[in-house]
Amino acid sequence: MGKYILKRLGYMIITLFLVASITFFMMKLMPGTPFSNQDKLSAAQLKIMNEQYGLNKPIWQQYLIYLGNMLHGHFGTSFQFNNQPVLQLIVSRLKPSLLIGAQAMVIGSLLGILLGAVAAVNKNNWVDSLATFVSILGISVPSFVLAVLLQFFLAFKWNIFPIALWTDWKSSILPSLALAVSPLAQTARFMRTEMVDVLNSDYIELSKAKGNTRWQTVVKHTLRNSLIPVITILGPLTANILTGSLVVENIFSIPGIGEQFVKSIMTNDYPTIMGLTIFYALLFMIMLLITDILYSVIDPRIRIAGKENN
Amino acid sequence: MKAKKWLTLGMTILASAGILAGCGKSSSSKAPAADDTVKIMTKDVIATMDSSLNTDVIGAQAGSDTMEGLYRYEGKELKPGIATKVVKPTNNGLTYTFPLRNAKWSNGDPVTANDFVFAWRRTVDPSTKSQYAYIYEGIANAKAITAGKKPASTLGVEAVNAHTLRVTLEKPISYFNELMAAYFYFPQNPRTVKKWGKKYGTNSKTLVFDGPYKLVNWDGPDNTWNEVKNDSYWNAKAVKVKKLQYQVVKDPTTALNLYQSNKLDDITLTGDNAKQMRGSKGYNAQLKNSTSYIEMNQRHKTIFRNKKIRQAISLSIDRQQLTKKVLGDGSRPSDTFIPKGMSFDPTDKTKDFTQETDASASKYARYDPKEAKKLWKEGLAETGNTGKKFNFVLLGDDTDIAKKQAEFLQNALEKLPGMKITLSNVPFKTRLSRSNDGDFDMVMTGWNADFPDPINFLTLQVSKAAYNRGKWSNSTFDNFVNKSLTDDANSPKKRWQDMKDAQDVLNEEQGIVPLYQQGDAHMTKSSIKNYAVTPNGSYNTVLLRLQK
Repeated sequence: MGKYILKRLGYMIITLFLVASITFFMMKLMPGTPFSNQDKLSAAQLKIMNEQYGLNKPIWQQYLIYLGNMLHGHFGTSFQFNNQPVLQLIVSRLKPSLLIGAQAMVIGSLLGILLGAVAAVNKNNWVDSLATFVSILGISVPSFVLAVLLQFFLAFKWNIFPIALWTDWKSSILPSLALAVSPLAQTARFMRTEMVDVLNSDYIELSKAKGNTRWQTVVKHTLRNSLIPVITILGPLTANILTGSLVVENIFSIPGIGEQFVKSIMTNDYPTIMGLTIFYALLFMIMLLITDILYSVIDPRIRIAGKENN
Repeated sequence: MKAKKWLTLGMTILASAGILAGCGKSSSSKAPAADDTVKIMTKDVIATMDSSLNTDVIGAQAGSDTMEGLYRYEGKELKPGIATKVVKPTNNGLTYTFPLRNAKWSNGDPVTANDFVFAWRRTVDPSTKSQYAYIYEGIANAKAITAGKKPASTLGVEAVNAHTLRVTLEKPISYFNELMAAYFYFPQNPRTVKKWGKKYGTNSKTLVFDGPYKLVNWDGPDNTWNEVKNDSYWNAKAVKVKKLQYQVVKDPTTALNLYQSNKLDDITLTGDNAKQMRGSKGYNAQLKNSTSYIEMNQRHKTIFRNKKIRQAISLSIDRQQLTKKVLGDGSRPSDTFIPKGMSFDPTDKTKDFTQETDASASKYARYDPKEAKKLWKEGLAETGNTGKKFNFVLLGDDTDIAKKQAEFLQNALEKLPGMKITLSNVPFKTRLSRSNDGDFDMVMTGWNADFPDPINFLTLQVSKAAYNRGKWSNSTFDNFVNKSLTDDANSPKKRWQDMKDAQDVLNEEQGIVPLYQQGDAHMTKSSIKNYAVTPNGSYNTVLLRLQK
């Protein structure tokens, strides 16, 4: 196990290096400068600014400097936020995104698993139809539409939650619910399909023959075995949701990271683009690693270190 | 698939109904609690509070609330700030000597002439990396300093004594006093700046204030920040509102919901929300010192060198329709390059620059499709293009509103016989770089005033100006602009006449085709008084009142 994780960490470093390199060169192909009033700077002034920021150097030199700094843990300072270290910017903006993302994942995946399981157990009756309807609804309705509806009814009209503004934990509930709909729907669909398959397996028949009740069979054998494909989708989905949703963050005025990434690209904020890309890549890889480790926890038949198999 | 589509449609309709129902609630909104706090929506976060580094209006507003320079605008009038009077230059307009009052920073330090010297030198010093250093050009040695040819200590600014600041210019700058109200000329407390180094201006702990308010609990890219009354401010008696609470809200529907629930006292509206709320209680539109216009590339498309062709293009655009039906955000039709309500006749302050140049402006920037077609035909004949077809690319931004605007212009211009318009909507930075490279036929662009004087706009269109992307060139126009900057720079009356003459030429020639003056549509609670934008684009919150 330890050897496997070490190997994966090695791959992660190589992948990160490739991601950083490709992003760096692609970023430099974007038109424009990172100066917010670039349209007002004359060619001479622009030249001076480029010299000050080292942007006049050949791109390969800038690349080597960036890599060198990165290895020392320096990700530079943002152009959008003068003199704010990129790392500090990411950390400060990450907290709200992580909170609503994590809440959304917990609510979404747990309810999704439950909904999928209930649907599978009640296959082809009205409970199944209702669950299927809910999951189709969840996939069809974009989170921002749900966000507006939640905001209007639960906050504006009935005054149960805050409309927007990031004040206390209560402010995080509506955005979390809006974001939860996608993992809920996807998890429910996967869970149902997989569980229907599992319920038709021989060992379920065996469990029934051993005299286990329906619920004992479901909880002991079916649920656990159905979770494998669900976990497969949960990894990337978690990375996706934790990194924030630009639209939901905007609707609820959340000072999150989603908007920062888009804005950094729009404004050619090179250090922030790099910092966030590396962070996203890292998060994605960590989630994949966790997913693989979880496989073996949930189903011991799966050995992540393949060579240990008989 | 079909079911999904219907479902999506249904939910969207439901959501829209919700939004509309929300809009209808304005009459039931109550006045905000009288807690001496004014809650204001803002569109973005503060990028920096360092007056040497800031470039945007959000930072400029927070700067104007919490800091003070030599002057401050009260309505359209320039009033003394840290200076005790609005001074007149001596030495043929080259020397300004400002007497300073006894003012204090919020840490108890006195505000001295040296604080201005320190801040200004710091801004022009290339190592500070200020993007606004160019605005100092005209002050002795500024250009050489920003180019790294002279040390910052040679800048034409000196502290004669603690309470006298002297500025030496290289050439007369007739609008120099107007510049002195802008945040990029604010003083800085040297002790604080040196103490925090690069961290200065990144959070409220690193700042001291000499303005009406103090920024509290602000930490970099926060979505919300509070400003509390600064008792150390020299004019603290005039400040009546104890606290300003700013909140970043990006979604216009959320803003409206917050306003109607009394969570915000003033919001900015955009798009459909602005159109819906027009005419309702609390709605008001404020005009910015900013003009949107079309530039035609005369370098690549020789047909645009013909005056009648340019005039025909201008006359085919119904600006009323464009601002009302397409934009709907409080923008107003522009028939001239200079924004309305920005600059006034030095001999008669009641006369707006645009009012005095209206005769030439209204002639070729009105909507007259018949005349447009006539001039178009004449222009084609003059250039030997009769009967020919033209396909021009109209370059613009890729925002929703810019796309709608482009479609409107496409529809208007294609009414000219033989004219076809292809739209190219690209991200802002791409638009800028394509404009700089001359890679366009026609481009929709705009200019925000750096300071409230017509010259800020007029200099953009002189033949050799970098910003003159269409390469329209007229020697008479150039001469008038040049005269206003040199021979007549010390005579406000003559200078004003030069600028009017230059504008008349531009109007007649349609060197650029003006479209509209950008507006800000607001909803403001009736309890909020004196919340109006000043000529330099910021709100003077000293005068703000909250009626209980």
